[in-house]
Amino acid sequence: MTRWGMVIDLDRCMGCAACEVACKSENNIATVSPDQADRGRTNSWMKVMAHVEGEFPHTEMQFYPRPCMHCDNPPCIKVCPVAATYIDDEGIVGQIYPRCIGCRYCANACPYMVKYFNWYGPEWAESERQHLNPDVSVRSTGVIEKCTFCHHRLQKAREEARVEGRELREEDYQPACAEVCPTAAIVFGDLDDATHRVAELKEDPRVHRLMEDLGTQPKVYYLRARE
Amino acid sequence: MTPTRREFVWTMGAAAALALQDPQDVFWTTEGGAEDPGWAPGLEERHNSACLICPARCGIRGRVVDGRLVRIMGNVLHPMSQGGVCPRGLAGVQMLYHPERLASPLVRVGSRGAGQWQPVSREGAIALVTERLENLRVAGRPEALALLAGYSAGTMQDLWRRFLHAYGSPNYVADDYDDGTDAVMALMHGIRRRPGYDLERADLVLSFGAPLFESWWSPLQAFASFAGPSGNGEARRRFIQVDTRFSRTASRAQEWIGIRPGTHAVLALGIAYVLLRDELFDAAFVDRHVTGFDDFVDENGRQREGYRSLVMRNYRTEEVSAITGVPVERITRLARALAQRRASVVVCGPDVTLAPNGLVAGMAVHSLNVLMGSVNRPGGVLFAEDAPLEPLAPAVLDETSNVGMGKGPVGGARPPFGAGDRALRFAEAVAGGAGSEVEALFLYYANPLASSTHPEVWRAALAKLPFVVSFSPFLDETTRHADLILPDLLPYERWQDAPTPTSYPYPVWGVARPMVEPHAGGIHTGDAALAIAQRLGGSVAASLPYESVESLLKARARGLFSANRGMTLGDEFERRHQRQMQERGWWLPEHTEFESFWEELVERGGWTDLFYDDTEPSGIARTTSGKIELMPAALLGELGVEEGTRRIYVDVVDDDAPAGDDYPFRLIPYRVSTLASGTLALERWLAEQPGIFPEVHWVPWVEVSPETARELGFADGTTVWVVSRRGRYRARLKVFPGTAPENVCAPYGLTSPDGDAANPLRLLDGSSDPLTGLSSWHSTFIRLERA
Amino acid sequence: MRDDVRAKLDSLPPDERVLLRPLVETSRGFYVVAALLAAVSLWGVFAYYLQVRYGLGRTGLNRPSYWGIYIICFVFFIGISHAGTLISAILRVSKAEWRRAITRSAELITVLVIGFGAIQPIIDMGRPDRVMNVLFHAQVLSPLLWDVTSIGLYFFSCTLYLYVPLIPDLAIIRDSGIKAPRLYAMLALGYTGTPVQRVRLERVIGVLSIVVIPIAVSVHTVIGWIFAMTLRPMWHSTIFGPYFVMGAIYSGIAAILIAMVILRRAYGLENYFRDVHFDYLGRMLLVFSLLWFYFTFAEYLTAFYGGEPGEMRAFWAKLTGPFAIPFWTMVAGCFVVPLALMSRQATRTPRGTLIAGIAVVIGMWLERYNIVVPTSVNPRWEIESVGQYLPSWIELSIMSATFSGFILLYMIATKFVPIVSIWEIKEGREAVQEVADRVARYSGAVNPEAVGDA
Ligand SMILES: Nc1nc2c(c(=O)[nH]1)N[C@H]1C(S)=C(S)[C@@H](COP(=O)(O)OP(=O)(O)OC[C@H]3O[C@@H](n4cnc5c(=O)[nH]c(N)nc54)[C@H](O)[C@@H]3O)O[C@H]1N2
Ligand SMILES: Nc1nc2c(c(=O)[nH]1)N[C@H]1C(S)=C(S)[C@@H](COP(=O)(O)OP(=O)(O)OC[C@H]3O[C@@H](n4cnc5c(=O)[nH]c(N)nc54)[C@H](O)[C@@H]3O)O[C@H]1N2
Ligand code: SF4
Ligand code: SF4
Ligand code: SF4
Ligand code: SF4
Ligand code: SF4
Ligand SMILES: [Mo]
Repeated sequence: MTRWGMVIDLDRCMGCAACEVACKSENNIATVSPDQADRGRTNSWMKVMAHVEGEFPHTEMQFYPRPCMHCDNPPCIKVCPVAATYIDDEGIVGQIYPRCIGCRYCANACPYMVKYFNWYGPEWAESERQHLNPDVSVRSTGVIEKCTFCHHRLQKAREEARVEGRELREEDYQPACAEVCPTAAIVFGDLDDATHRVAELKEDPRVHRLMEDLGTQPKVYYLRARE
Repeated sequence: MTPTRREFVWTMGAAAALALQDPQDVFWTTEGGAEDPGWAPGLEERHNSACLICPARCGIRGRVVDGRLVRIMGNVLHPMSQGGVCPRGLAGVQMLYHPERLASPLVRVGSRGAGQWQPVSREGAIALVTERLENLRVAGRPEALALLAGYSAGTMQDLWRRFLHAYGSPNYVADDYDDGTDAVMALMHGIRRRPGYDLERADLVLSFGAPLFESWWSPLQAFASFAGPSGNGEARRRFIQVDTRFSRTASRAQEWIGIRPGTHAVLALGIAYVLLRDELFDAAFVDRHVTGFDDFVDENGRQREGYRSLVMRNYRTEEVSAITGVPVERITRLARALAQRRASVVVCGPDVTLAPNGLVAGMAVHSLNVLMGSVNRPGGVLFAEDAPLEPLAPAVLDETSNVGMGKGPVGGARPPFGAGDRALRFAEAVAGGAGSEVEALFLYYANPLASSTHPEVWRAALAKLPFVVSFSPFLDETTRHADLILPDLLPYERWQDAPTPTSYPYPVWGVARPMVEPHAGGIHTGDAALAIAQRLGGSVAASLPYESVESLLKARARGLFSANRGMTLGDEFERRHQRQMQERGWWLPEHTEFESFWEELVERGGWTDLFYDDTEPSGIARTTSGKIELMPAALLGELGVEEGTRRIYVDVVDDDAPAGDDYPFRLIPYRVSTLASGTLALERWLAEQPGIFPEVHWVPWVEVSPETARELGFADGTTVWVVSRRGRYRARLKVFPGTAPENVCAPYGLTSPDGDAANPLRLLDGSSDPLTGLSSWHSTFIRLERA
Repeated sequence: MRDDVRAKLDSLPPDERVLLRPLVETSRGFYVVAALLAAVSLWGVFAYYLQVRYGLGRTGLNRPSYWGIYIICFVFFIGISHAGTLISAILRVSKAEWRRAITRSAELITVLVIGFGAIQPIIDMGRPDRVMNVLFHAQVLSPLLWDVTSIGLYFFSCTLYLYVPLIPDLAIIRDSGIKAPRLYAMLALGYTGTPVQRVRLERVIGVLSIVVIPIAVSVHTVIGWIFAMTLRPMWHSTIFGPYFVMGAIYSGIAAILIAMVILRRAYGLENYFRDVHFDYLGRMLLVFSLLWFYFTFAEYLTAFYGGEPGEMRAFWAKLTGPFAIPFWTMVAGCFVVPLALMSRQATRTPRGTLIAGIAVVIGMWLERYNIVVPTSVNPRWEIESVGQYLPSWIELSIMSATFSGFILLYMIATKFVPIVSIWEIKEGREAVQEVADRVARYSGAVNPEAVGDA
C-alpha cells in the first residue's frame, strides 16, 4: 500500500520559511489585509513555528515547520457532518471545497491547528491573478482549507507516468515545500516503500511525531537530536 | 467592536471585488462552488534564470504557464544555491505582478512630489532624456550628469560606468553594499575584495555577527554548505555564532555566544591571546607568510610592539571576559576548538566593521584567520576571482568626455581606506551648493529618501537638482520626486547577468533571462541606456556599440567560451567531475561552437568555475612585501607609526555606555531575511510573517527582553515610539527572550501599511569610522515611549 | 376588547375567565415591549444579512477561536429548552400534582427556544447556502449529524408534546367563541372531552412524556459530545454528556422561574403560580446548584490532577488568567447565589427565585462561554500563540436578536394559548380524591376502609 508521508529534519531546518512561501505560491493561498492579519485570519498551510526557551544569553530556539500531519487516524474527518474532509486510500487527507458547509468543526477537532478558514472570500488584485497556479483551485468564502500534500502534483505525476508507460518514481511526486527547502530538511515519499528515503528516515533514532500520545498517527515525522 | 474605518473601507473593497466577480460564483453556489476562473490546460514551460532580488544572485527556475510566471523554484544546477531559494526569491512572482507596478513611463506635470503624472511613450521618454543630455554636452558640461546606482554588480554597472565615462561625467555614485571588509582585506592582503569563505569544507566556522542564515551576502551558500542536499546536515556540529542578539542564525548554531555590542574584536583578540599563549596557532604559516607579528624597529630606529606583544599585553582572558561578558572558560574553549579542527575559518560580519573603529576591529577579527593559517586553503578564506568575461568594447573618448572626466567627482573626497558613504557625501555636496554643477540625476536601483541614514540631506539635494530621472518600476519614495520615470522591467522579464558575490569563493556568472513577455509599459534600463547612447551619437554611441543588453551579454560570454576553463552550470556530478579534472590540470571543451555554448549557458542559467588553485601564492597576499601584513604599512603610514601602533589591535572596543538616563537602550538594527534591502513594501506573502514570530505581521516591530518590557510596563504588542537624539519612529513592541536587557533590536525599515517608513537607520547618532567613512550602525542609544 | 367578547369572557367559569383573558385583552405595555423586541430582532436580521453578504469575517472569530457567540448561544438555548419538556415530562411521569400550573409555560419555552437554538449553528456556518448538504452528504460519524438528528427529533416530539395537552384547551377556546373560532376549531381536532377522547388523550400524553425524556437527554448529551469528541484541552472529557444534560435542566428550571414570575405579574396569575410552586421549583434549583457544583468540581479536579500541560493552560486561563472574571462570575451565578437563596424557605419566594433564576441563567450562559472560548484560544500545542476572541457587534446583535426574538414569540404565544393548562388545573381539582388514594398507597396507610370512606 502506498502511504504518502513526510519526514522533517529539525536539525537541518534553518527556519528560513521558504517552505511556507513556496506553499503559498504553489497553492494559491490568499493573503489578508493587515487588519485581518491582526485578528488572526492569515492562512498558511505550512507554518514555520518557533519554540523559544530561556532568556539572554541562554536562549534556545527550535523551528517546527508544520504542515497538515495527514494523520492515519485523523480526528478531523470523523467530525465533519458532510464528509467534506476525507482520507484517501493513499493516506492523503483532503478537502472537498464545494461541499464544505463551513462549520469549522474539523478545525476544532484537529489538535495540530492546521485547518484554515476563509473568513472572507480570497482577495486578489487583478494583476495578482496572473500568478495563480492553474493546477490548484481558488477557494471561495466560508470554507475550510489546509495542506493537501500538494495532491495536484500527484495527479499530474501519475498522469505523466502513465503516458510514459512507467511506474511512478519517488522524485516524480514531491510537494512544493520539500522541493524548495534549501537544506533538504523536508523529505517526502511513500512510507511503505522501502526504496523511498522517508521509509528509512522514519526509523531514525531521532524520530518523533507531534502529540503522538493522542493516537492520531501523523504521517509527518520529525527528526531531532535530543540533547 | 464597531468596525474601524479601515475595516469599513476594506469591507467595501471586498464587496467591490466580489461584485466584480460573478457573485453567483463566489457566493451561493452549492455545487462547484470553488471558483472556476475558466482555466484550461495551458502551455507550460520551465526556464532557468537568476534571482536579482538581493546580491546573492541565486539560481532560480521559473514555471511559466500560458506566458504567466506562476512559480519560482530553485535551479539545482547552480553551485552556490543548489536548488534552494529563499522566501524573498519565491515571492518574486508577487513583485512581478504587483498591482502598484508602474504601467508606463511618466512625466511629472504638477510640482515636484505632488504626484501628478502624465504617461508618455517609451520613445518619447527616451527622447526627453536624450535632449537634456545633448544640451548638457553641447554646453560643455557633461559632468553635470550624475548617476546614483544601487547594487548592480556585473554588466549593468559596467554599462553605466562606461556610459558616464564616454559621456564625460565622473559622477557615478555607488549607493551599494560597502561593508568595509574589503578595506580590511586590502590592507592586510593587498587584495581589495570582500573575503570568500569556504564554508563547505571548513570543519569549524566561527562567525562574528554575520547573519549567515538570514541576510548575509549569500545565505543560500551557507544553507547549502551546512545542510545542502548533498551534505550530511551536520551544520550544527561545526558552526559557532558570536552575536549580540539571539538571531535566527545564532539559534541554528552549535553554540551561540551572546556578547556585548561592539566588543566582538576584543573577544577575537582574547581568543588570539589563548592561541598565542598556548602556542596553538600555525607558527609555520605565520613565519612564512606574515609580517607585523613580532616586535619591529621603525624607520626612526624605535622599537615597536608587534601583534604578539600587543595581544599578550592587552587581552588577558579575564580582562576580555570583563569587557565582552563572555566567561573566561568559554574564551579558552573557543580558542582550543579553533586550533583542534583541521580547517577552521572565522567569518567577519560586516557589522564588526560598521562601527566608529570598524576598520581596526575588522582587522582584529580577521587576524584569527591569519594566526590559524586559514587563508588560501580548503576550508579557509579564499579570494574569489571574477569570471573571465570579455571586456566591453574599448571606450572611445572625445574632447568633451576628457574635460568632464577631468573635473573630479562631486563630493568625491574619499576617506583613506574606503569609499565611505559615497552617496551621502554626494548628496551633502549637492545640498550644500558645492556640487551646484550637477543638473541631472539618474536613479538606478536606489531609493535614498527611504534608505539613507540622512534622508533630509537627500531631500535638500533633490530640491537643487533640476532634472531627476528614475528607472524604478515602482513609485518609491525617491521616484515620487523625479521629473521623469522610465520604469525598468522586472528581473523575470529582462536580460541581466548575475555574478555571485565574492563571499562565495568561486566565480558564478548567472544569467537572468526573460521568462515572460515584458510589461508593455516598461523598458529594460540597460536597453534604454543603450538607446540613449545611440541617439547621443559620438563618443557615447561609439563606446557602447551594442544593440541590446542581450547582445552585450552574449558578447561578454565569448570571454568565457575562450577561457579554457569552467563549465556551464551543471548538476552535482558534473560539478565534481569538472573540479577533479581541473585539479589534475585537464580541461576539455564541451562546445566547439560559441553559439551552442551560449545556448547551453542560457538554458542552464549561467557559467561557473569551481576549481580554486590554492597553490597560487597570490591567493595569500598581493602586498608589496608579498606577505600578510598584521601591521599594514599603509595604515601605519596614514596614522603615523606612533598613533598606529597605539590604535591597531588596541583601540578596537566600541562599548560606550548610554550617556545618561534619557536614552537607556542600545539600538541594534538588523536585517530580516524577508527584506530585500527593504525600501519597498514587502510582498504580501512575506508581509504576513516578516520575521520568526508568527503573530507579527505587516507592522514594523522592535524586540526587547521580557525584563525590559516589565520594567517599562509595556505589554507585548504595545505601539511605541523608538526615540533617539536624531528622531523617532513608530513600531510595535515584541517581547523576545533572546534580547539582552540593555538592547533594543530593530529590523530595518519595514514600511507599515499606512506608509509610515520605520527605518531605524534614521535614528543613528551619525558617528562613523574616519578611516573608511562608513557610518556606525550599532552605537546609537534610544528610549521607548508609549505611542 | 369588543363588548360581545367581553360578555362571552365574563360568562365563562372563573379559571377560563382568568386564563383566557390574555388571549383577548392586550395592554399598551405589551405593544411597547413587543415593538422594542421586534426592533432588536430586526436589527439582528440586518446584522445577519451583513454577515452573509460579506462573510463570517464580520464576526470576531478567527484562528484558533473558530467558535464563539453563536455556538455559545446554541448550547445555551438548547439547554434552556430542557425547561419545558424535560421538567414537565418528569413531573408528569412522576405524577407530581403541583406541576399542573406550570407545564404549559415550560413546554412553550421549549418549543420556541429550540428553534432559536437550532438556527445558531446555521448562523455560524460559513456556507449557510449549503446547509442541505447535511442531508445530501450526511456523514454519520459526525456528532454534528447526531445533533441534527436528535434536535430534529426533539423539536418534533416537543411540538407534539406541547400540542397534545393543548387540545382540550383549544377546544375550550373554540367553545368559548372569544377568538378566531375557525382556527381553534381546526386546531382542536374535534375534541369535545368525551371519556373516550379523554382516555386517549391521557394515554398519548403518557407515552409522549416518557418518549420525550430520553430524546431530551440525548440532545444535550450529544451537544456535550460535540465538544468532547475533539481533542481540545478541557473539551475532551467523558463527563461532558451528563454535565451538559444536568446544566441544561438547571438553566431550564431557571428560565421557567423567570417566565413564571413575569407571567404572574403581567397576567395576574397569582392564583395559579403560587408560592408553593416557587418553593418547589426553588428546591429543585437548589438540588441542581449542588449537582452543578459537583459536576463542575469533578470536571476541574480531574483536569487538574491529570496536569496535562495543554489542559492546564486552559485550566489556569479560566481560574486565574484572562477568563477569571467570567469564570468566577459563573461560579457565583450557578452556585453561590442560588445556594444562598434557595436553601432558605424565606427566600424561596417569587422574588428570591427570580433573582436566583436570573443568576443561574447568566451563570449558565457564562458556563458555555467558559467552555467555548478559553479552550479555543488556548491551543493544545504550546508553541502556538494564545489567541484572542472579542465578539463583533454583528455577533452581539444577532445574539440580542435571538433573545428578543424568543421573548417576542413567547409573548405572542401567550396571546394564542392559555399559559396555564385550563383542563389540567380543572382535572387537578377533580383529582384530589385520586391523589389522596395514591398518597395513602405510598404511605402504606393500613386502613383500607378509611381510604374507601374518604
Ligand atoms: N535578505 C537580505 N539579504 C541581504 C540584503 C537584503 O536587503 N536582504 N542586503 C544586502 C546588503 S545591502 C548588505 S549591506 C548586507 C549586509 O548584511 P549584514 O551587514 O550582515 O547586515 P545585517 O543583516 O544588518 O546584520 C547585522 C548583524 O550584526 C549583528 N550585530 C548587532 N550588533 C552588532 C555589533 O555591535 N557588532 C557586530 N559585529 N555585530 C552586531 C546583528 O545581530 C545582526 O545579526 O546584506 C546583504 N544581504
Ligand atoms: N529602510 C531601510 N533602509 C536601508 C536599509 C534597509 O535594509 N532598510 N539598508 C541599508 C543598506 S545596507 C543599503 S546597501 C542601502 C540600500 O538602499 P538602496 O540603494 O536605496 O536600495 P533599495 O532600498 O534596495 O532600493 C532599490 C530601489 O530600486 C528599485 N527597484 C526595485 N527593483 C528594481 C528593478 O528591477 N529595476 C530597477 N531599475 N529598480 C528597481 C525600487 O524602487 C527600490 O526602491 O539602504 C540602507 N538603508
Ligand atoms: S524551507 Fe527547509 S530550512 Fe527553511 S524553514 Fe522550511 S524546512 Fe526549514
Ligand atoms: S493534522 Fe489535523 S487536519 Fe491534518 S489530518 Fe490530522 S487532524 Fe486532520
Ligand atoms: S468546516 Fe467543512 S470540512 Fe470542516 S467539518 Fe465543517 S463541513 Fe466539514
Ligand atoms: S505538502 Fe504542499 S500543501 Fe502541504 S505544506 Fe507542503 S507545499 Fe503546502
Ligand atoms: S538569497 Fe537573494 S538572490 Fe537568493 S533567492 Fe533570496 S533574494 Fe534571491
Ligand atoms: Mo547594504
